[in-house]
Amino acid sequence: MQEIGDVSDAQLVTAVARYSEVALAEVYRRHGGAVYGLARRVLNSTTEAEDVTQEVFLRLWNQPDRFDPTRGSLRSFLLAQSHARAVDAIRSLNSRRLREAKDASRTASAEYDMQHEVWDLALAEKVSGALATLPVEERRAIELAYFEGRTYVEVAELLDQPEGTVKSRIRNGMRRMRAALVEAGIQGVDA
Amino acid sequence: MMTHDEASELLAVFALDAVEADEYERIEEHLAQCPRCRAELDAHREVAAALGNSVGSLPDGLWDSIASRLPPRQDEEPPPMPALVREGMTPITGQGPQFQAPRPSGMPRPRRGSRGRLVTLASAAVAAAAVAIVLGLNLVHDNHQISQLQAGGGTHAAVAAAFRTQGHEVVNVKDAAHHRVAEFVVVPDGRGYLVHSTLPTLTSKQTYQLWTVNGTRSISLGLLGRSPSQATFTSAGASMPTTLAITVEPAGGSVYPSGPMFATGTA
Repeated sequence: MQEIGDVSDAQLVTAVARYSEVALAEVYRRHGGAVYGLARRVLNSTTEAEDVTQEVFLRLWNQPDRFDPTRGSLRSFLLAQSHARAVDAIRSLNSRRLREAKDASRTASAEYDMQHEVWDLALAEKVSGALATLPVEERRAIELAYFEGRTYVEVAELLDQPEGTVKSRIRNGMRRMRAALVEAGIQGVDA
Repeated sequence: MMTHDEASELLAVFALDAVEADEYERIEEHLAQCPRCRAELDAHREVAAALGNSVGSLPDGLWDSIASRLPPRQDEEPPPMPALVREGMTPITGQGPQFQAPRPSGMPRPRRGSRGRLVTLASAAVAAAAVAIVLGLNLVHDNHQISQLQAGGGTHAAVAAAFRTQGHEVVNVKDAAHHRVAEFVVVPDGRGYLVHSTLPTLTSKQTYQLWTVNGTRSISLGLLGRSPSQATFTSAGASMPTTLAITVEPAGGSVYPSGPMFATGTA
């Protein structure tokens, strides 16, 4: 008998829309680690990252129709949700303090889907390689914006560069990244 | 509202959630009426997701917290499944698809909701539906994985290899007017590839779905997207599917064909 692990992401979301908690659990098993991992990286806080992860999955439960499979993969959709919420949190006054805090303890250990983990490792390697090909000023602008939750105006201040220059660097860097990823056989994140 | 050029300049920044608060809504307004910018934003978001895709261990108890907070829906009962009755199949009513799945490692058995709408397989009919769903869906590639293959050029090599595989079959799928709209090659271990397609592009709310037909049963092989060009699938049970059919379905796909077959073909 084939198991739920063989069902596509799009089918799972259809099932979530029909109130299948098992389907949501499977989405969590496939993508929860990535959602949580990104939130933790941006927020530098396991507690806040857990809150963000909960929000992301509760939102999928309540509004599954917001995922449009014609516009990107489920993993990309969930990561965008995770990032947006993490950035919202980090821009709040309370979370600014958390940004400075060290992520001292790492609670972990529920098992993340091994098959996806292997795939994620391979992808991470390719992304890391693509990022390394960018000119340093483009890479830095992207990293500050994405991983530290800075606006491009803040990035411009931090790097002491005109805002227009930072916008262009981010745009050019993202296009370069895309080209490098496509060349590496990766057009998006999926699982 | 922003001009197209102004919005376009900020799309990469927007994909990183790094625009200023006052720009956010103006960009959203522009996106709502500019498909070109939406497409570019989607591309940037895929890159952003690749950047943010990490290998992470999940904290113990996090799923419990999520499951315990799942509220009842605010909306009405779900619509019935489309066209659940197929020739030779037990009529099904209810809220499918519902999956009977092994509990993911580290997770508790999902809680039963207050409205009794979760995993209980309440009748033999529903159980039959679950079995059909689970057996039938051995999907390998959805729309985006197909895009990935296009980017990597991996399908061309796979198709070439399939044509060189002993015992392969070619399935020409024809529409009601007997025009060939797609060609597949299938190999004995159950894998198959879309070789060529002239299927017309569907709206963004639709997708082509591929089925293998076994007697009177139609079993999903996966979604082909709204404008199929290349795809790979694997048949459940590793048996070579020699009768294929294509239907037009809502974007998320369907558990059973929701309408007449758009095109069919047999090796």
